[in-house]
Amino acid sequence: MSARRLGWTITAAGLAAGATLWEIAGRSVGAAFVAPLSDTIEALTPSVWRALASSLGLFATGFALSVAIGVPFGLLLARMRLLRVALESYIAILNATPMAALIPFILSMMGFGFAPKVLVVFLFAVFPILYNTVEGARSIRPELIEVARSFRSSERALWRDVLLPFVLPFALTGIRQAIGRALVGMVAAEFFLSASGIGMVLQSASQSIDTATVFAAILLVTLLGVLLMELGSWVEGRYAAWRNIR
Amino acid sequence: MTEAASTARISVRGAGKRYDALEVFRAIDLEIGQREIVTLVGPSGCGKTTLLRCVDGLIPLSEGAIAVDGTPVHEPRAGVAMVFQHFGLFPWKSVYDNVAYGLRLAGASRAEIGAKVPYFVSLVGLKGFERAYPYQISGGMQQRCGLARALATEPSVMLMDEPFAAVDAQTREILQFELLRIWDIRPMTMLFVTHSIEEAVLMGDRVVVLKGRPSMVFETITVDLPRPRGRQTLGLPRFNELREHVWATLMDEARRAEFSVSS
Repeated sequence: MSARRLGWTITAAGLAAGATLWEIAGRSVGAAFVAPLSDTIEALTPSVWRALASSLGLFATGFALSVAIGVPFGLLLARMRLLRVALESYIAILNATPMAALIPFILSMMGFGFAPKVLVVFLFAVFPILYNTVEGARSIRPELIEVARSFRSSERALWRDVLLPFVLPFALTGIRQAIGRALVGMVAAEFFLSASGIGMVLQSASQSIDTATVFAAILLVTLLGVLLMELGSWVEGRYAAWRNIR
Repeated sequence: MTEAASTARISVRGAGKRYDALEVFRAIDLEIGQREIVTLVGPSGCGKTTLLRCVDGLIPLSEGAIAVDGTPVHEPRAGVAMVFQHFGLFPWKSVYDNVAYGLRLAGASRAEIGAKVPYFVSLVGLKGFERAYPYQISGGMQQRCGLARALATEPSVMLMDEPFAAVDAQTREILQFELLRIWDIRPMTMLFVTHSIEEAVLMGDRVVVLKGRPSMVFETITVDLPRPRGRQTLGLPRFNELREHVWATLMDEARRAEFSVSS
């Protein structure tokens, strides 16, 4: 058996053991506290799936916005030293700020519509992207820029040939980190702003002590997160192979 | 053609460079003819590389002027290519794309790139490694790639910034002979900065020794060794004489610098 297959086998065995333990715990503790796996899967009704689809719309909008703004803005900071020095400390501070604490403020400013929820997802996700992009831009080897200048590169070609390819792997790391944060932002927004999607399912199910549905919603969001992170890692490995080996 | 009529390809006149209070070099005059290799040696920090970057137009002089083919140098110009100490390869580009880099920037057609890149890749001995990435090949091969990238633009002037300083001693010797072989096929003007006295004598038609603070041209030694040069050159008695001569010129300074604290 190859090492790779052995690894997969062990992972699968570990997951199976976890699922079994979950089932046993649920059956012995009582379904109101810990719904067993079988009940949880049964609770994956069409309405939970529909809730997930609605949440995904929010996630995708906020996440796309954070990528579309975070990466170009990070690159801008890379080339404009003055702007970078001026804003760097703010980025570090906001990156460390627990965004959930800002939700009441956003609520009072913008109310209950779709826009404030997108803003919450955006705020959760954008800073890792911005932070990593700027970090990447800061670590560009000056020698490579000198090479470009020596070969009479225009500013546009410098971006295309040197700056963008160098920063890309850093931006991708940020984007991967942002996936998890955006999911947290999504649930938080649906919880604390107007209830919708998975957040609403979680809220109403827990109020009626429907633990199986609560678990089903959590399971779905978790699986979604794992799937997206894996996708992120794959993209990162595909476009950033040179960075790790260097 | 008389001596006066053969215009210099590179002409450095009264060149000085200072960073605020620090004066790096001063009053440097240097003429380099077509098909001439001039090597530049001197103690660490004497400004050899700085002078080279000034000739490339990457940084400005504080005093004096540099001209290539009679045109003053203010910025990097076509026909001049530099080979970098740490290779300066783009890690996300394959060997092929690294070699094609200069040509693409110069606006070469697809057909031209398709014809030239394989030629220069095989000239430096990298045939078969076109698809490899820099991190997959050795330091010596990386500098072969850096060399091919510079050669591919078919420059009339090559500026070499300690090109073999970052590879091991054996590879360094191999690359020196490779470069001599390539130069015999495609002779051009070369300004070659090095720490190695042996390399300076082996490669150069003249060895220019920089000394002092700020550094100035202390001595120019004409290397009257026959070309083509190669491994056999190292065995010539004249090679050893010249090497000793350059060594004595340099080491006198180095020793004084080392013991200057106690004096």
